Amino acid sequence: MSPVLELVAVSKEYPGTPPIRALDDVSLAVDAGELIAIVGPSGSGKSTLMNVIGTLDRPSSGQVLIEGNRLSTLTDTGLAGLRSARIGFVFQQFHLMEGSSALDNVATGLVYKGVRRQLRLQMAAEALSRVGLGHRLDQKPPKMSGGERQRVAIARAIVGDPAIVLADEPTGNLDSHTSTEIISLMQRLNDEGSTIIVITHDRDLADGLPRQVAMRDGAIVADTADVSIETVAARPLVGVGSSNDMTKRTNREGGKQA
Amino acid sequence: MSADKDSPVVKNAPLRWRSKIRPSDAIRNGTHGLRSRKGRTFLTAIGIAIGIASMVAVLGISASSKADLIAQIDRLGTNLLKVEPGSDIFGDSAALPKASPAMVRRIGPVESAASVSKLGTSVQRNEFLKDDNGIAVLATEPQLIDTIEGSLSHGRFLDQETSSLPVVVLGSVAAERLGFNSLDSTPTVKIAGVTFAVIGILDQSELNPDLDRAVFIGNDAAGKYLGAKVVPTGIYLRANPDHVETVRSVLPQTVNPADPNEVKVSRPSDALEARAEVDKNLQNLLLGLGGVSLIVGGVGIANVMVISVLERRGEIGLRRALGATRRHIAGQFVVESASLSLLGGVIGVALGTAVTYFYAHRQGWIVAVPLAGLAAGVAIALVLGAIAGLYPSVRAARLDPAEAVRPS
Ligand SMILES: Nc1ncnc2c1ncn2[C@@H]1O[C@H](COP(=O)(O)OP(=O)(O)OP(=O)(O)O)[C@@H](O)[C@H]1O
Ligand SMILES: [Mg+2]
Repeated sequence: MSPVLELVAVSKEYPGTPPIRALDDVSLAVDAGELIAIVGPSGSGKSTLMNVIGTLDRPSSGQVLIEGNRLSTLTDTGLAGLRSARIGFVFQQFHLMEGSSALDNVATGLVYKGVRRQLRLQMAAEALSRVGLGHRLDQKPPKMSGGERQRVAIARAIVGDPAIVLADEPTGNLDSHTSTEIISLMQRLNDEGSTIIVITHDRDLADGLPRQVAMRDGAIVADTADVSIETVAARPLVGVGSSNDMTKRTNREGGKQA
Repeated sequence: MSADKDSPVVKNAPLRWRSKIRPSDAIRNGTHGLRSRKGRTFLTAIGIAIGIASMVAVLGISASSKADLIAQIDRLGTNLLKVEPGSDIFGDSAALPKASPAMVRRIGPVESAASVSKLGTSVQRNEFLKDDNGIAVLATEPQLIDTIEGSLSHGRFLDQETSSLPVVVLGSVAAERLGFNSLDSTPTVKIAGVTFAVIGILDQSELNPDLDRAVFIGNDAAGKYLGAKVVPTGIYLRANPDHVETVRSVLPQTVNPADPNEVKVSRPSDALEARAEVDKNLQNLLLGLGGVSLIVGGVGIANVMVISVLERRGEIGLRRALGATRRHIAGQFVVESASLSLLGGVIGVALGTAVTYFYAHRQGWIVAVPLAGLAAGVAIALVLGAIAGLYPSVRAARLDPAEAVRPS
């Protein structure tokens, strides 16, 4: 079975003098049904990786394949189509429409699939009950807690049954208790079959997940599932960056020289 | 690895993944931003509303005034014709042949006709006044009153009997100038030194202002008391409304078979119709001003939309992440801009109609709001809004999705 997501020697450079190498020769394979944490210090390229996987950004070199489809062959419009059907996003800042109900917010996840409104609302209600908000369909975001808002956003990401759910710092705006709840929710959704990639600063949250990928300076420095990075995988992940390290903003240039 | 170019697992662009949005959802998306910012929406729409309102009001008011004139013309009829002698080659006004009134009456579709003969004399209130008061003395026939469908404010018009007596009927302006507003004191006037009793005062004639400035005596009386030779200088006639043009075309030949070119036929109602067209310049000026406020309103919308695009970077990023294409994003903002302007257009049409109604009502006119003008107002607003939305929507569509979802 081919991986649902595959990155082959992906690099991403942002223009500048010198150019910023946000991703440096990253290779990664994710199978359907996996739940992966991507960890790394600030500026290590996690969000850049997320955008490249989520097809919001194109790599400078290398190949990205989703369900075996080479993304470089797709136009901008083709990528949008792929996102509408196969990728669900969860963001740190929720990105909910303040004036719309939870139900309408979740239903928006299906608008660009051309699903008719009646069916959309029905599917949205189901997705909301999957994230434990079946009783708050008509609530508007300003009247919800951070955890509830993020669960609405998660429902929106899964409502179209995507191949991959990408969550960039989904707990970044939440307290630790709520963060744990959100991660548990991710685990439950993963048990139900979703393939999920979560970026998190929180070492402890990441430790609870089945697979962890550690990044530094745009490169993958540890992957608990990858035997090809044996030298790093042999060591405990704590050696790559402790939870204390993570909170500090690492000097990327300095890191490179070290 | 499956990433290898030759690997059979690698596939190219899968066409089954296509973003698509239902038209109803495109409109819902495009109006969502407006519904969630009602105050701003309303304020932005005002510019367009004023522009459309002034255009609709200008069109409405001029249509109402026109409708009023047309109603007046309908009431007065367009079948009254007037025959006058043309000027001869020396520029002198020729007279009409003496037999011409009878000839005119013989034309089939002529319902009634009456001649007037201008006498070369003047009328005064008494023999001591000699100033030129611009009042014509006309010898005429009793049928004149029916032919012009005239009415009297006082007394009665000449009849068979009084036509040969020294009596006079005054036109409305003539009565005013001579200083009569009733017949209570059995008034008299002097014409060429002869005393004539005033037996009637005419109402104003809307179609024949020259008859208002005249006094009328009978043809027989003109010969008998003034020794005047009565030569027709004009014939008024009513034609069957269905044959006005036919009558008009045969009149010169009938009136003056020897010299048809010296006969001038006119239709007094034409002058009224011409008045319905006069205010074109003012109307164009006001329409231009309305157009300027529309342009200003359109620029205002474009401005607010650009700000909106900047503010809603996150929403745009989210929509791109959910699968919106650049085209979908551009469409959303064009729809938003067009709806905003449409709202202004609808408000403007309502406002313009209200102004028209109020103004026309106060003028005592018929209220006529041109439906085509209302439709055009709404359509102009819609198109203008779509154009104003073009630049902001292109900016929204050009936003890099990765940039747009980045926390600010
Ligand atoms: N649009 C851009 N233009 C230039 N440089 C960029 C851009 N986006 C990211 N970078 C740089 O690329 C590097 C990786 O950034 P990225 O946002 O991927 O890091 P991150 O791991 O998500 O960090 P954080 O944990 O703070 O979110 C950083 O040095 C950043 O400054
Ligand atoms: Mg980041």
